[in-house]
Amino acid sequence: MNAATGLDFASIPERIQTEVQRAIQRSIKGVEYFSTSGPTLGSTPKDVLHSRGTMSLYHYRPMSDEIYRVPVLIVMATTNRGYILDLVPGQSFIEFLLRRGYDVYMLDWSAPRPEEKSLRMEDYVLDFIPDCVRRVQADSGEQDVSVIGYCFGGVLSLLYGSIHKDGPMKNLICFTTPIDFREMKLLSNFSDRRYFDVDHLVDSVGNVPPEMILSSFEMLRPASRTVSQIQLWENIWNDEFVKSYRMFDRWATDTLPLAGEYFRTITKDLMWDNKLFNDSMSVGGRAAKLENIKVPILHAVAEHDHIVPYDAAKHLIAKIGSEDKEEVMLKGGHVSLVAGANAVKRLWPKLDSWLGKRST
Amino acid sequence: MTDKLNDPVAMWQKMMGEMEKGFNSFANEAMSSPEFSQAMNRAGGVAAGAQKQLGELMEKYLVAMNLASRQQVMGLAERLQSIEAQIGEMRSMLSQMAANSGISQGGAGAPRPPRTKRPPSENGERT
Repeated sequence: MNAATGLDFASIPERIQTEVQRAIQRSIKGVEYFSTSGPTLGSTPKDVLHSRGTMSLYHYRPMSDEIYRVPVLIVMATTNRGYILDLVPGQSFIEFLLRRGYDVYMLDWSAPRPEEKSLRMEDYVLDFIPDCVRRVQADSGEQDVSVIGYCFGGVLSLLYGSIHKDGPMKNLICFTTPIDFREMKLLSNFSDRRYFDVDHLVDSVGNVPPEMILSSFEMLRPASRTVSQIQLWENIWNDEFVKSYRMFDRWATDTLPLAGEYFRTITKDLMWDNKLFNDSMSVGGRAAKLENIKVPILHAVAEHDHIVPYDAAKHLIAKIGSEDKEEVMLKGGHVSLVAGANAVKRLWPKLDSWLGKRST
Repeated sequence: MTDKLNDPVAMWQKMMGEMEKGFNSFANEAMSSPEFSQAMNRAGGVAAGAQKQLGELMEKYLVAMNLASRQQVMGLAERLQSIEAQIGEMRSMLSQMAANSGISQGGAGAPRPPRTKRPPSENGERT
């Protein structure tokens, strides 16, 4: 080490050699990147229990010799595909749950067809979720069902739970679920009622195009896509980095359109009037107050969530009527909370220890 | 060992990280103004209107060319999906019947494990 400059001159040739090797690897792997497809995602063995339009209900095949009595129904966010929770073996939340002895079902979404533009919030909360819960009960032979909702899947689960207060939901787990939509500052500004004519949009396009949803999310961190592409080029010699990049990039850009009427309600009732937070939300004429939820609840939030900032999620636990309730804040962002190396170490074990003892 | 402070690659990565944070923060501030919302939604409203008109024009064009209209293709897709859903339900029913009659076939009809699992004991052992 040179005391004056702080540079370790002895390591320079070695460093140059490494960088030259990486440059060569970048060229080779760069060609490979464009000529190959990414890893296969969502491959944990499953059966389609039911499919109706935009809705699909999967049952994952058990992976342990005995399972907990209470089955788990995962409700995915309507903006994205469920395979974020089932990336590849070893990085699959679903696989983790199966190996820990849970009986896992997932309510996943596909793009609503143009005729489904008239789907309303009622269809999601009073039809799709109850229908899936009934099918889980019939398939498992159990009356109790634990529900896990991710992001807006959490909002739908909260609405379902607050209306169906007499069951059969036994436990509720929400991941990064917003209830105070004023605190989603930028999205709130994008949909400012003075300038955003949601009626004109929905009446014009029917279903809200996925490009619009994706660009709204990307605008929250406008530099991040460019920087991530630079990082990909820097690390393209690293197979693990590339695999991870491809998994997350594919999922993030695989955004779903939203049914027009459903989007209209989200904008007016949640973004504009903040009804869930103000206890004035109703779905199909049925009051949906969070205080009606009395089942054990765990809310996992991410410290660096740029889509659902903590301020938008922090009042959930206080407003829930349950006695057995817990919020846990973990390091990570909106996606890394639930998927990837961060989640494997942090959220998944936490969830297992919380849910296991409430699943017998 | 290379000192991270003097490693040009580490310095470059740090600089990129700082630039990303700085730009995101700057852009977020700019995008939080009502003026931005107004401009963005004005452009979005025009785009939505144009998309609607283009859609109507395309429908007329397809009819003139004697090609299947979008509605007809969507109708076919819907029927196909309905058939797929019915096949799925039939498969599920057959699997259930096979399971009830004790026929082992793997997959959906395979016998399910017993629902007897208990949570891990306090000393950390898994049951």
